[in-house]
Amino acid sequence: MTQAAYLRMEGLSKAYPGVVALRGARLEARRGEAVALMGANGAGKSTLMNVLGGVTLPDEGSVTIDGAAVHLRSPREALAHGIAFVHQELAMLPSMTVAENVFADGFPTRFGVVDSARMHREATTLLARLGCNLPTGRLVETLGPGDRQMVEIARALRRAPRIMIFDEPTSSLTSREKARLFDIVQGLKRDNVAIIYITHFVDEIFEICERVTVMRNGATVADRAIAQTSPADVVHLMLGEADSAERLADASTGPGPVVLDVANLSGGLLRDINLTVSAGEVVGLWGLLGSGRTELVRALIGLDPIESGTLRWRADSELQPITPANLHRIAGVVTEDRRGEGLLLPLTTRANLSLTSLRSLLYAFGVIDRGKEERLATDMIGQMHIKVSGSGQTVGTLSGGNQQKVVVGRWLATNPRLFLLDEPTRGLDVGAKTEILKLTAALAHAGAAVLVISSEPEELLRICDRYLVMSRGRITAQLPGTANRTDLLAAVAAAPTPSRAA
Amino acid sequence: MSVAGRIGGLLLQHGFVAVLVVVFIVFAVFTDTFFTFGNIVDMLHAMSPLMVISAGLALVVMAGKLDISVGSVAYVAASCGTLLMLRLGWPPVPALLAALSVGAALGAINGLIVVVLRVNPLITTLGTMIAYRGVGLQLTNAEVARLPEGVRVLGNWSVGPVFGDTLIALAIVIAVHLLHRRTVFGRQLTAIGNGEDVARRIGMPVDWLVFAAFVFSGVLAAVGGVLDTLQIGAISAYLGKGLEFNAVAVIVVGGISLFGGRGAILSGVVLGALVFEMIRNGLNHVGANPYAYRLVSGAVIFAAMYADALKSGVRGAAARLLTRRDA
Repeated sequence: MTQAAYLRMEGLSKAYPGVVALRGARLEARRGEAVALMGANGAGKSTLMNVLGGVTLPDEGSVTIDGAAVHLRSPREALAHGIAFVHQELAMLPSMTVAENVFADGFPTRFGVVDSARMHREATTLLARLGCNLPTGRLVETLGPGDRQMVEIARALRRAPRIMIFDEPTSSLTSREKARLFDIVQGLKRDNVAIIYITHFVDEIFEICERVTVMRNGATVADRAIAQTSPADVVHLMLGEADSAERLADASTGPGPVVLDVANLSGGLLRDINLTVSAGEVVGLWGLLGSGRTELVRALIGLDPIESGTLRWRADSELQPITPANLHRIAGVVTEDRRGEGLLLPLTTRANLSLTSLRSLLYAFGVIDRGKEERLATDMIGQMHIKVSGSGQTVGTLSGGNQQKVVVGRWLATNPRLFLLDEPTRGLDVGAKTEILKLTAALAHAGAAVLVISSEPEELLRICDRYLVMSRGRITAQLPGTANRTDLLAAVAAAPTPSRAA
Repeated sequence: MSVAGRIGGLLLQHGFVAVLVVVFIVFAVFTDTFFTFGNIVDMLHAMSPLMVISAGLALVVMAGKLDISVGSVAYVAASCGTLLMLRLGWPPVPALLAALSVGAALGAINGLIVVVLRVNPLITTLGTMIAYRGVGLQLTNAEVARLPEGVRVLGNWSVGPVFGDTLIALAIVIAVHLLHRRTVFGRQLTAIGNGEDVARRIGMPVDWLVFAAFVFSGVLAAVGGVLDTLQIGAISAYLGKGLEFNAVAVIVVGGISLFGGRGAILSGVVLGALVFEMIRNGLNHVGANPYAYRLVSGAVIFAAMYADALKSGVRGAAARLLTRRDA
């Protein structure tokens, strides 16, 4: 461990308009070792790796390789310095062949013409090194995610890289493919490659990494030898210390009838999900990123296909089967992606608030009654304390928190009995977060059933009446509303049983 | 898979071949003059300029872009060449080179607007389509200008029974096909059509490649304009008008995806152009109302577009949009 770092990234900062992605981040990697880069969603791992990959130019900071300062201004320059990147969203060209994909960053030529024979021959050799015998003439669009991953790794290996970045390589792999990937990583270590391994699965890093670097809010908070840490430590470092925050609502006194009942739901990553949500309660869906939380919400509203399982919904005092598409129509869905879910930024606050209830605002001949619309908007703005100069203010000029309130308010106008909130406070400042959490508690108080996802346990602790803990697509535990922070962290650290005793 | 499903799948993959065969059989059965050697030679002659222009456009489409200014580029380039001969007395060969240079320059303007100013290619070339035609009209005063006598005879030049321009057009289409299939440039354009972000991340010089594709498209549009002018023996204000849409139609019917990255240029352009030429020519032979051509062509384009969407695009594109959240 006394060996000097081969790659050293120091004091890196990067700000985008309105967001600081990196603040003085650092990372070291040594040859023949794998360093795990960990951090919660939005901690800045991707930005840091994009700097190393030449995709993002940092505002400040330095990168040195083998003692020499380097400037990485493009992916090409990164390649030239021996840096190879296995991307999370695989950088594949679907309508092209396996061989073409392996050689996409530099086709071999002979007399100005692509040398197909050589390309196929060398691609076959590279894939064989990975223990993979794909036909190199096959189109990549016909391959499964595991094989695509192999093609991507083969592309990275072709340049005999000295630094290799794996960005969440196992998120789409089966356990057999994962074992193969781990073998490859071990082989690369023997070949003296410096490896940076990004993942959300705490157990994996204890299996194949020598060191771990943890990031939080754009800064590096720890850099340790893996032998001197434990899964619980890592989770603690990722999520940070508790902000002292008191509960915003008393744990509900006996929830109402079950509104939504999910039985044996499977599909994609999800396996055997059973859960109920009752009127008047806030259920916290807790787990690390990649545990299947977002996928569960997406499956419930039909954005991802379901393989098996049933959904039942309380209609006329009875639970009746319902399709995800229909559930989507009646549930209020709020995600971290405020634009993606249809906030129309150039339009006024009024127009955005009334969008889901236009039918109830009609006047003769299908014309919208502007008076009614104005009343609805003013009502919502008052009820939710949206800070605007007036209902005519353009939504794009509101702060993030107020934009999120508009999204919630829009749903509120249709009076849904179920809310699905996926990281509703993401990217908001502390004050706005509290406002949104208060609003969430108020929704339940008014009788709605609420399922909420957050990456920050402190937030859940302030409002939830019950917790469901997810890991690897399953619900692994259920905790009562009296659970504290330690209980929540223990639940996720324990869930994916580490395969090596720490 | 059922037999019907299998046939359906085949038709979907090679929809244009099916269309072609159906059109051919219909006309061959209903007229005695359609399926004759002389008529087939005529069809190949008439579609030559369109094939060349479509081949250039195909390179741009391969990269997932669009160039609808090709008709106007053809007009301006051919006009420049003709006027240089008529007004300044240039010999034919330098005039031809000048015409091609004008095509390259106009293509370069398109490329610069798309790459540097980041304007959507459709909007860019819609603008230049209108603007270039304006330039051409000004140059020619919107008048008909007949080619010099010595040059005009080239329009009837033939090798054996086949017209010379057919051979030139085929040679060009084959060359562009090889450029696409066999060179790094071609593969990289296909890669951009597969995903511009991916191509960029892999480290391809995306901007240069797109720029070069527009220049190619401009040059080949100029060649198409010259061939068209030679066939007519003169330039008129209508030269190349609507040709851009014919070229897009050829490409779509030829199975080259407008989403980019998919399709074969040689078979796509030749067979695509043949479909439209056969419809036009065949309707003449059955003595149909000349306006029927447009209706039938429109129907064929819709059928081909639908097949294209089913084949490659719509579902895939929608899925990609939905999953592109954490970027």
